[in-house]
Amino acid sequence: MADSRFVVAKGITKRFMPLRSLHEVVGRFLDRPSPVTALDDVSFSAERGCLIGLLGPNGAGKTTLLKVLATLLLPDQGRVHIAGRSPEDDPVFIKKNIGLVTCQERSFFWRLTGRENLTFFAALYGLDGPAARKRLDRLLDDFKVDDPDKRFDACSSGTRQKFSFIRGLLHDPPLLLLDEPFANLDAPTRRFLKDLLKKHLVAQQKKTVLLATHEIAEHAPLCDRFLCLKEGRLCLDATAESLRRTHRLDPAAGIQDLLINILESPGTTP
Amino acid sequence: MKKLLAFLKKDFLQESSYRWPLVFGIFGVLMTTLIYYFIDRLFGERVAGPLEDLGVSYFGYVLVGLAFFSYVGFGLGSFSDQIQREQTQGTLEALLVTPTGLTVILLSMGIWNFLIATLDLLIYAGLGLFLFHIDFSRTNVPSLLVIWTLSVSSFSALGILSASFTLIYKRGNPVSWVLSQAEGLLGGVYFPIAVLPAWLQFLAHFLPITYAIRALQKAVYQGTSLAGLKAELLPLLAFCIILLPASFAVFNRAVQKARRDGTLAQY
Repeated sequence: MADSRFVVAKGITKRFMPLRSLHEVVGRFLDRPSPVTALDDVSFSAERGCLIGLLGPNGAGKTTLLKVLATLLLPDQGRVHIAGRSPEDDPVFIKKNIGLVTCQERSFFWRLTGRENLTFFAALYGLDGPAARKRLDRLLDDFKVDDPDKRFDACSSGTRQKFSFIRGLLHDPPLLLLDEPFANLDAPTRRFLKDLLKKHLVAQQKKTVLLATHEIAEHAPLCDRFLCLKEGRLCLDATAESLRRTHRLDPAAGIQDLLINILESPGTTP
Repeated sequence: MKKLLAFLKKDFLQESSYRWPLVFGIFGVLMTTLIYYFIDRLFGERVAGPLEDLGVSYFGYVLVGLAFFSYVGFGLGSFSDQIQREQTQGTLEALLVTPTGLTVILLSMGIWNFLIATLDLLIYAGLGLFLFHIDFSRTNVPSLLVIWTLSVSSFSALGILSASFTLIYKRGNPVSWVLSQAEGLLGGVYFPIAVLPAWLQFLAHFLPITYAIRALQKAVYQGTSLAGLKAELLPLLAFCIILLPASFAVFNRAVQKARRDGTLAQY
């Protein structure tokens, strides 16, 4: 029987050695710094067409986990499989299947226009010529970008974030990794992007979305399922329905407060 | 190839968004050339002795050395500079998350700088020919092409090693220091290595630029054929054979280490 799980992460552990300056190396060369655990034995899987909230406070390991999935970071232990293949065996396949959207405006070339940036990244995803132009025009239209030919540094934060979404979608990947994608955006732009994400990308196009955020109260209603990270450990993996059932909540009730309580309480209950 | 052209277009758009660098680059080449021209007028005859074999003036000698050194220096430094630039701009991770091979990314990053360096090289040659009336008529073109190929390959390998260091340690790059300072002093760029003490001449033999400059001077001013350049071309070929695969292996290891340490985007 075929495995329906599109993303599988098993036992992901990542520790970082603190970086030391020359002064620290010379001054305390006998002291070995202790590694900082960013992810501790994190396992989960995800099917196609669901929006998973990767929730946790700052420093919980959300970005680290997304970077492991995006092949930018190698885990110390554990394996990731996306559509049945691992980044170690076939990194190009994995990269073709993921779109990474961050709130890092600096990941674009500021002296180029939005369109020039996106055309460049489209070429790196293997798209060029009329097909690339058609795809780009379609996405610019979907995201309602008014002036894609304005220089990136002259664009508003909202437009820059739309460019980030469009870059992540250029090659139409089935898996979207979103790292705080709504940070620094005004309410109407947030609402527009959230609607587009939920109705268009997840419901219609059946993309799997992993949305990392610390703004639980605002983004929890968007998600079908929740992965909560606390100090690098997965402390919750549950759907909205199962949470409501377990905690006997009204079907219409919001579960934001419950998630916040779980993240703020001691102990882990995956 | 399409990805390489995309990098080239992106770099062109980025560089042409600034008004003055290209103009002042050309102006800089002219100024440097003039400095050595007047040094030659003042002291040229005193250094003529070691140059007798080549049958060239000091200015003629240094012009070829400078043009070549600036070419390979600019070109090979470009890998390291570009990596640092992408790290500080914050675009390196965005490039690495695309399904583009590391080698393609690295080589594409350097292509714009190589084009600019080639333009500088042509300006040096044009100034020498038309303004200072240097005699290039004996130049052996096939020899020149082989020297160019071997030099670009071996210096690119050094550039990639330098970029690997930048990826891991960010600053304080010893490879870059060797390339820019030690090679300038020991490689025969500004003066023939015959004027150096014996122990420095010995060290010079471990640098590819020593062979490249000597071969170039012979090919340009004496019209020496490939057979006559065996003593210079064989060591250059050996540098290529050793350094090229080693540099790509080291760069791959450096990227893996940066991915393991989580320092890809740090600078």
